[in-house]
Amino acid sequence: MDIGILIQVVFWGLYAGCIYILLATGLNLIFGVMKIVNFAHGEFLMLGAYITFIFVALTGFNPYVLLFATMPVLIVTGIIVERLCFRPILGTGKLNEIFVSLGLIYIFQNVVALIWTDEWRIIPSPFVDVTVSLGSLEMPLDYLIIIFLTIAILSGLYVFLRKTHLGKAIRATSQNRKGAMLMGINVERMDMISFGIGTGLAAGAGTLWAVSGQVFNPYIGSIPAIKAFAIVILGGLGSIPGAIIGGLLYGIVENMATFTLGGAWKDAISFVLLIIVLIFRPTGLFGEEGE
Amino acid sequence: MTAMFWRSPKACLIAGAGAAGIVLPLLPVANLYVLTVLILMLIFIIYASAWNLLTYSGQGSLGHAAFFGLGGYASSLIAIQSGLSPYITIFAGAAFSAFIGLLIGLTCVRLREWFLAMVTFGFAIIIQTVIVSMLSPVTGGWDGYAVPKLIASDIPYHLLWEYYSIFIIAILSLLAIHLILKSHIGLALAAIRENELEARAAGIDPVRFKLLAFTASAYIAGIAGALEIHHFGYITPEIFGVELSFWPVIYSITGGLGTLAGPVVGTIVVSLLWDGLNAAGLTYERYIIIGVLLILIIIYLPRGLVSLAERYGKTEGGGRNPR
Repeated sequence: MDIGILIQVVFWGLYAGCIYILLATGLNLIFGVMKIVNFAHGEFLMLGAYITFIFVALTGFNPYVLLFATMPVLIVTGIIVERLCFRPILGTGKLNEIFVSLGLIYIFQNVVALIWTDEWRIIPSPFVDVTVSLGSLEMPLDYLIIIFLTIAILSGLYVFLRKTHLGKAIRATSQNRKGAMLMGINVERMDMISFGIGTGLAAGAGTLWAVSGQVFNPYIGSIPAIKAFAIVILGGLGSIPGAIIGGLLYGIVENMATFTLGGAWKDAISFVLLIIVLIFRPTGLFGEEGE
Repeated sequence: MTAMFWRSPKACLIAGAGAAGIVLPLLPVANLYVLTVLILMLIFIIYASAWNLLTYSGQGSLGHAAFFGLGGYASSLIAIQSGLSPYITIFAGAAFSAFIGLLIGLTCVRLREWFLAMVTFGFAIIIQTVIVSMLSPVTGGWDGYAVPKLIASDIPYHLLWEYYSIFIIAILSLLAIHLILKSHIGLALAAIRENELEARAAGIDPVRFKLLAFTASAYIAGIAGALEIHHFGYITPEIFGVELSFWPVIYSITGGLGTLAGPVVGTIVVSLLWDGLNAAGLTYERYIIIGVLLILIIIYLPRGLVSLAERYGKTEGGGRNPR
């Protein structure tokens, strides 16, 4: 393969990886605190894209700016979903989470389809034709902004979790739920907050994905969410650095595979990778033996 | 023993359901549409029961459409190549599905909950991809191909005959599952589900029994898939779709996980609701209603609709100990 094309493919992978990282980080944050997996996480990505779409239609602002209006909306949505659907089943068996997520997938997809129909939509980016050239590498400005925004969001999350009182409480809950409770932390509130943040990150991913020129309809959420979950498994459940490294690798591998094997394999290759890893390490690459 | 059995309310229910299944298609309301609905209901009862069999061993699958679809593809290809009747090839097709199930099971037995859900989901997508890309010369890719019908449509009352033949296959499948669960295999599966470590200490090999459950489940799901495509007379890779993986899950949860009656009750209730809502013109709303129903049942009725009957039937001695 020509080295120029190789770099180009890696760059596309980097951009795709950013979307996956945002999703996987959210999933991991939720898993860390609540020990549950929300398979309907992708529906928040889809919803985020639609909320931004509406904001753009209403205000005409730059969609990248509106990202910061969409995320709070989804954070609130996430908190409501956690309170109504996931709290009642906490600790009742892991299969139940999967089943509740199934119900949520149906509800979200079709509420959105009812409101906005299932036509394909697009959010036009203001920089659609702008590319930055670096040698033989052609970089659409949108992709660069997305990579930059992802880094910014993740840095913000890092500072929040490391430096603020609330962030420390979330980390404490994630490390030892009972211990945190004994220290006077309201762990149920931490559940709600971390679920909300995870949802907000998914909304960010959805907005960035849509703005980068991807068309969307109410049914696009499932596959990215499943891939994000595969990344979480690869990177280790509950490990945010694992999610970031896993997400980048994943985006690159996926784009390489699409390039060499053909587009039909785009979705399947991720599972091939996942299954190969799980055959040798049933708890994931960086997962603990005891899980 | 038998006299006792026939007096219990459970036996009355089973006999009643069986009688209803035989008489219903003969009633004047049973036009072609109703017959088709009933046939699909039977097929999905088989499919949901197959999925439910897996939960006895504490496993779950979000990709059972893989086996449903493989049964369909294998059976139809055999039928086309050999010219045999679909009534023979469905069992051969299901055997192929079970073989793949065994291979998939080998990678799955060591995995738990989320990992298992992901991997089974993934296998359905991988198999679909293989069918539309590498095997497209044989399978026609996304377009699919026509397959022989169960009973040729120029035979008078062909749908009625089809209904009764599928009815018998459904009864046989349920009976087979019942016998498996009554035998020592069923006990071993329950032991593994409740506590795998203790089961191992008691001398049960979890891997062997989980594989057995996986293979049996894949076989029965394969039969259901083959019946469906021979009923429609056409097959496309849509058969591996996410929705077809989710249906048996929804049916089994609604009816009640880990009971023989659960998937049967669940399939009947949910598919009647589904078709009723469709007839009322609620295309998207019906998904929302099903989704809300699913979540409500998981939260408030974790043992499904069947547990309602048990709750009220307890005084008559029909109740069972809750898990």
